[in-house]
Amino acid sequence: MRDEDEFVAFAQGARDRLRRTAYLLCGDWERAADHVQDALIRVYVAWPRLTRAGREYGYARKALVSVVFDHARRRSSTELVMEADVQRPDGIDVADLVTARATLLQVMAELPPRQRACVVLRYFDDLSVADTARALGCSEGTVKSQTARALDRLRSVFEDSSFGELTLGAGKW
Amino acid sequence: MVNEMRALLHEAAATPPADDIDLAAVLAGGRQRVRRRRARLAGGLAVAVVGVVAAGTLVSQGADGRDTPAASVVPRPDGPVIGLSDAAQAKEGVDYDVLASYTNEDLDAANGQYYDGVTDDGLILFRDGPHGPENKIRYALLDPATGEKDWLPPVEPSDQVWAVELGAERLVLAGVRPKDGMDLTGALVAHVYDRGTRTWSTTTWAGLPAVTGIRSPVLGPDGRLYVRVPATQGSPPPGGWPTGPDGEADDAGAEGETYDLWSVSLSDPADVRDERLRVGSVAFTDDAMIWSAASNGINLRIHVRDLATGAEHDFDPKSGKRCNLLGFGAVADRVVLSQYCGTYDNGRDDRIQVLTTDGDLVTTIQGDGIDGWVTGGVVKVSSHDRNRAGLFVYEPDSGRFTRISDANSSYGLGGPTPEGYLLWDTPVGKASSPQEPIPGATQWLARWR
Repeated sequence: MRDEDEFVAFAQGARDRLRRTAYLLCGDWERAADHVQDALIRVYVAWPRLTRAGREYGYARKALVSVVFDHARRRSSTELVMEADVQRPDGIDVADLVTARATLLQVMAELPPRQRACVVLRYFDDLSVADTARALGCSEGTVKSQTARALDRLRSVFEDSSFGELTLGAGKW
Repeated sequence: MVNEMRALLHEAAATPPADDIDLAAVLAGGRQRVRRRRARLAGGLAVAVVGVVAAGTLVSQGADGRDTPAASVVPRPDGPVIGLSDAAQAKEGVDYDVLASYTNEDLDAANGQYYDGVTDDGLILFRDGPHGPENKIRYALLDPATGEKDWLPPVEPSDQVWAVELGAERLVLAGVRPKDGMDLTGALVAHVYDRGTRTWSTTTWAGLPAVTGIRSPVLGPDGRLYVRVPATQGSPPPGGWPTGPDGEADDAGAEGETYDLWSVSLSDPADVRDERLRVGSVAFTDDAMIWSAASNGINLRIHVRDLATGAEHDFDPKSGKRCNLLGFGAVADRVVLSQYCGTYDNGRDDRIQVLTTDGDLVTTIQGDGIDGWVTGGVVKVSSHDRNRAGLFVYEPDSGRFTRISDANSSYGLGGPTPEGYLLWDTPVGKASSPQEPIPGATQWLARWR
């Protein structure tokens, strides 16, 4: 018998984090919710195997990336959905921050899906190169090269703008 | 000004709108996908039947007195091995409960009525026919609890069809309209019965190449039908197959066949997709697509694609060097290979190999004249050995191995069943000679405990 209580507890705990990752991967909160829902269905099917292996969240994130990639492949046209978040963080120039953030999301939306996923997994989910490679189902070399290309593109846009330099910020890796 | 990317990403995702993820829909979707998969497991049976037919054909060809196999004793496979003598006798009321049975007294004289499978909601797909000059077939859904039959509207086909999906919402029957002179290859046709509207629809796909063969299409978790288009075919060695100790041509270790995998939508005749994957046989578990590199011959690799993530891995199944892969199926995280591995002085080497989807050998059921397939969440093992004929059941999750019957009917009966159900058949009457079939058969439906 599959243990639905355990799955539901996992899904409730993971949904918010997954949705944020999904949003950064696709740029739209509504679509992000759909992607997370699809990914959780896939996780449900695999659940008996996962609970034995103790790698539920990593698997769910990998399923999510796969759902997003599948969706991107199926779409006949690209949509760029950007939402300017106007919440005011304390002590920061809101106009600059909103613009810089929106610019980052805009450029990320123009990146190929795998490059974009590398950025999100490395610098939002804070995964190592090896874990990112596992999540994307590719080699570590591919992660490095795709990430480098994405960063080149992002940095060049920032350098050519009035927002200043783009750095990675502090992280585990 | 310095912009930190990590901070920008976290801030961008910091204020999501209200969460509208519907966990009830997740559970419903997950359950449906699991149910659909379980109903689809009979695909393994399908391939097994084809394999056995093909093997029989090959073995009977090309006997020319060439070299006999070097070894004279059936070799022991790698890993744990069990035989038919290890099976415990299953008892009605203890191991299973019979829900229904149906007897045809003489199927050798005329077609009769058959149990063609069991729906997800526990009804028997009951077939009457084909009968008459037009080979008319009638279907009903039979409630095993009451014996009541709900006859379905007529479906036209004169094609030979078999159940691909027996769901609570729809029934899917598929068949191949053979090309002239090509018995096992032709145009795919599917008949879909909507149980809600009580209507049949028939679909063919003009853009789909000729497919093979009897019972080989399998339904994917995405609701698409996956079919095999012939790609490469093995050929006998120059001079034909060597003769085995039993005097028959022995094709053990034959070159396998490969196919290109295609898929079609059951609702859109224009929706045909070349999956760009060369396979031997294909099966699905709840969460993976599994395929062999070749079938009906030596197979050296098993490939596994995680349907959630798209990740793939492959492994050597460590089958014997002379093993022809004849039947292929999967259940939970187990892969089941039914193989013919040669004939030796002390008998045939038939194997049903059970592996994990990571390639670990779980067990091999070895015997003389056995074949196996996956259905209803278990591995059904048929033994045609005169001394130990009958049906056996191997449970992949527990390893329990039991004997159900001590004889097989002369006919290929049955169909897909949901997990926990078992369909089998036993002979009725006596054959007029050893070469003739036993005329009658009883089909049994049981709930497996």
